[in-house]
Amino acid sequence: MTEQTIIRFDQVTKQYDHDQAVLNNVSFEIERGKFYTLLGPSGCGKTTILRLIAGFTEPSQGKIYFNGQIINTVPANKRQVNTVFQDYALFPHLNVFENVAFGLRIKKMKQSQITEKVKEALRFVNLEGYDHRTISEMSGGQKQRVAIARAIVNEPEVILLDEPLSALDLKLRTEMQYELRDLQKRLGITFIFVTHDQEEALAMSDEIFVINKGSIQQSGSPIDIYDEPINRFVADFIGESNIIPGTMRQDFLVNFADKDFECVDKGFDANEAVEVVIRPEDLEITEPSLGKLQVRVDSQLFRGVHFEICCFDEAGNEWLVHSTKRAQVGETIGLNFSPEAIHVMRFGETEEEFDKRLEAYDG
Amino acid sequence: MKKYKALNIYLVLVFIILYAPIFYLIYYSFNSGGTMHGYGHFTLKWYKEVVQDTRLITIVLNTLVIALLSSAISTMLGVVGALAIRTVRRAPVKNTLLTLNNVLIVSPDVIIGASFLILYTIIGIKLGFTSVLLSHIAFSVPIVVLMVLPKLQEMSPTLIDAARDLGARRWDVLSKVILPFIKPGIFAGFFMALTYSLDDFAVTFFVTGNGFSTLSVEIYSLARQGISLTINALSALLFLFTVILVVGYYFIVQYYRKPRRQGAGE
Ligand SMILES: Nc1ncnc2c1ncn2[C@@H]1O[C@H](COP(=O)(O)OP(=O)(O)OP(=O)(O)O)[C@@H](O)[C@H]1O
Ligand SMILES: [Mg+2]
Repeated sequence: MTEQTIIRFDQVTKQYDHDQAVLNNVSFEIERGKFYTLLGPSGCGKTTILRLIAGFTEPSQGKIYFNGQIINTVPANKRQVNTVFQDYALFPHLNVFENVAFGLRIKKMKQSQITEKVKEALRFVNLEGYDHRTISEMSGGQKQRVAIARAIVNEPEVILLDEPLSALDLKLRTEMQYELRDLQKRLGITFIFVTHDQEEALAMSDEIFVINKGSIQQSGSPIDIYDEPINRFVADFIGESNIIPGTMRQDFLVNFADKDFECVDKGFDANEAVEVVIRPEDLEITEPSLGKLQVRVDSQLFRGVHFEICCFDEAGNEWLVHSTKRAQVGETIGLNFSPEAIHVMRFGETEEEFDKRLEAYDG
Repeated sequence: MKKYKALNIYLVLVFIILYAPIFYLIYYSFNSGGTMHGYGHFTLKWYKEVVQDTRLITIVLNTLVIALLSSAISTMLGVVGALAIRTVRRAPVKNTLLTLNNVLIVSPDVIIGASFLILYTIIGIKLGFTSVLLSHIAFSVPIVVLMVLPKLQEMSPTLIDAARDLGARRWDVLSKVILPFIKPGIFAGFFMALTYSLDDFAVTFFVTGNGFSTLSVEIYSLARQGISLTINALSALLFLFTVILVVGYYFIVQYYRKPRRQGAGE
């Protein structure tokens, strides 16, 4: 744990009544001033993690640290954290100004100071002049910004955002992604953002936690996670991928589709069974004779930016290719890819083991 | 179309039949003849008699005081009860509580009145103002609970989380978020309790005594003594008052519903 650490989960388990655990031995650290994303499918426990941080619920086991102190049982109203809820949870009986002022009024701040701070917060989220609107008169995007203003006006150390963009249409959503990221940079405080949209996570975060079934599968920068997924779940969940069974011949040499290929992965047992990931956009279409692999085009979809081409090789593996070039259904094409494009995954490897393997060879 | 028309006529007929006795009664309250047959001429004599009868005025005041006090107290108790029922997590317990609440509303007044009478006799409460007030509170509380609970359930639990997140203590959450949100339900409950108390006859009839009386009980005993058109005048006034209450209630509900309608259209 460093100076920079603001929140730490230590072996946290959460169980409702006598059901199965919703979170299983979750440990992670959150550093000051960064943009974190919790990414995972519905029901994996993202909201539960936020609720634990905010103090709406207590862990069944394990410890939660905030600024180095255990806060397991500190009530929500005493924590230096504010939340932007999935449904915004704005108070319908108060207008925009009073919604934002709510936290300051609880703190019994002076009226002149409240006015100043609320105006500033509203300016921050581009809602100047909306003070006297009622909540029902605001659009979805505006409500969301009121919710953000209500959170930032209290100057918390951490802001938690629970899928705040999920109710918005694609265009507004993209716009708000930029605004949020920009806001976080200007404020310089920690954001913990929840989403089940992998593109959103990749676009916005400094660091992503990929969660499945109540445990963290992998954490790291968007590029790390995209390029080096640790297992099938992460590879599948983040972007589209070709996941092919193979065997590791030796360091830097992997066999799949009945051929040996040069790669950049190491630290496996000789002839260990592995899974090989190649991203569809890393596959380049060539003349059959020039390709490392020969495949037959099975179907093709136009996706706007690219064609999505589905092919099969002679060993029967399915290959998804993203290409700006059109292919002919039924024709045989060559696929080319660099050794760096190949990513080899060990079966059942945990994040710790994965890191250790890399360290052992790099260090 | 034709069917629709027939339905309308039917409805109008039903309402005419339901309201005819009341208007018949009111009509004769202006009769100088002194009986309910043979109309003399228009007079306000009976109303004058009502207004000049101090005993009657006292009874009217009794009735109002009982109604206002019992509905105010039962509104408070009912709101607390509804809040408590909401916090019950386990569905079977919650449903049992709700059913017990509803049984009190639908059970016949006679049974409630008789059981209160037995209770007061056993524990030694003198029949009169206190016993009537207690009984009215008792039968009003379930009504308030029934009016407040739906509003509470309509409130998203994240609103409470949001308030706590912003630093609110329990009391702040209650006074700044929950109560303002369920205010329409509280008003509705209060008015319902008020009307139930005002026109209650059966329960009051059982538990009143020692010269204490309310309007409905008084009208009943007047009617038994013999025919006097003061009863008509009094009933007419009572009817008018009820109409005013209902209209007032309607406007309050309308007032609170309006902003919500806008909100629903997003
Ligand atoms: N109060 C509760 N009692 C019992 N189980 C609960 C409770 N709250 C959540 N759960 C369970 O915990 C699991 C994780 O829920 P959580 O809300 O954290 O999911 P999530 O990752 O936020 O999903 P989503 O993306 O759908 O919001 C779910 O299986 C849910 O059914
Ligand atoms: Mg959630």
